Amino acid sequence: MTNLDHGKFTRMTTVFHSLLAMDVFFLFFTGYAIMFNDELWWMLTLMGGSGSVAALHRVFGVGLLALITFWALMMVTTDTGRSNFSEVMPSPGDMKAFVQDIQFVLGNADERHPNARQFAGGTADEIPLLSYVGKGVIFIFAAELTLLSISGLLIWSKTGLMQYFATQTAAMAFVVFHGLLGVVMLMGVMFHIFEHGFHPAFYPVETKAFIPRSMIPEEHSDDDDEGTGIERLQLSPSWASASNLAGAATVIGIVSVLTASIYDTGYPVSTELLVGGGPSNLLLTVGVNIGVLVLFFGMVLSVYGNLVRIRWEQQMAEEETDGAEAEAAD
Amino acid sequence: MSNSTAENGASSYSGTIVAVNAVIAVAVSLGAVWVVNGFNVFYERLDRVSPTVEGGGIGAAFAEGNEIGWLVFMVEAIHAIDVLMGLFILVMVFVHWGAFRRLASRMRQPGESRAMPDGGASTPDDSGAENGGERR
Repeated sequence: MTNLDHGKFTRMTTVFHSLLAMDVFFLFFTGYAIMFNDELWWMLTLMGGSGSVAALHRVFGVGLLALITFWALMMVTTDTGRSNFSEVMPSPGDMKAFVQDIQFVLGNADERHPNARQFAGGTADEIPLLSYVGKGVIFIFAAELTLLSISGLLIWSKTGLMQYFATQTAAMAFVVFHGLLGVVMLMGVMFHIFEHGFHPAFYPVETKAFIPRSMIPEEHSDDDDEGTGIERLQLSPSWASASNLAGAATVIGIVSVLTASIYDTGYPVSTELLVGGGPSNLLLTVGVNIGVLVLFFGMVLSVYGNLVRIRWEQQMAEEETDGAEAEAAD
Repeated sequence: MSNSTAENGASSYSGTIVAVNAVIAVAVSLGAVWVVNGFNVFYERLDRVSPTVEGGGIGAAFAEGNEIGWLVFMVEAIHAIDVLMGLFILVMVFVHWGAFRRLASRMRQPGESRAMPDGGASTPDDSGAENGGERR
């Protein structure tokens, strides 16, 4: 059986999420193959060298522009989109949920705050559309994607930028800015993969983002249980080792990417002309590559989430025909 | 094999040698063009420091880097934001890691029999021990 909690996203949102994820993953792979070429030289070579990687990055960049423009239009021009603005706004409950999450880990709270729950139990009305982390993801990613798009467009034509800033170095500073800006998103996506891939009740992937709410039957047995009912679910035998491995890889990936971004300050043209890193730094090379592995794993999970959706669709269709046949037999 | 023919008094060339030399000539000319192709400047690469190259690579010759004040500030600010957000994201990873472990401990462990939420004891038949705890 599949563990299904409440699907709260529309079909449009789930499809958009998958497309955005794919596009952003490829932007990461191409963009950071350039910026972290000390550590990811093999990716640069694999994708045909810096010329072809830059071309690919632009192709996916156009894809991103189209996706975020589409999303912004959907949010503004539709009633559903507009009504969701209030759902996305941070509330005092979100701050409480963050504090309570820390208390929960320390053992000072018995449950996660409703605004933090991924596995909610109860009815869909009882939990908010987005957890406090979900809201944070929307805000940070929206700001990041906007700034990345603007800076990306600015550096599209280096010579065009140079005419405004007189020097090549100034123009290239925008490239630096663009690359460093993406690091926040890079780290955030690694966390996002861990958060939605390794919740014990959903492992190996939380289907909320892949199975739209129209496909989730809203029926519950009316037994008023205390809590979320998570104790009824059986933990996957591989969860403990898998979550430890993924957690460690996520932490190593985030730390390494962060360190590499500091090393590569001012890349491609440093403010101080000191370029650190390099393949001699084996530890950093391994770490950044683990980070890329986490991203790759996230891409696999995104595909898997869609496979689960297709299976779920088929299962629902079969049940429907079975039900219809049973009715016809009566 | 074929040799210079003494019959007409003029020396000739062996067909094999002609073929081999022709192949070598084509390879050399293609190779030369291939090598020269490397002289093409890809403008994106022109401004990039290749740290792996001795001497810092192309672009390292700039005496000074970016000197526009607000641009320098922007790059440094985003560095600071990277570090702050990175630390925050790490905290979030650890909080979730910890929370997940606590939630997992509440779930039925692999191979454990179905828990009785109302406190009822599981019957021996229901222990699931016989079939390795696999319950489908």
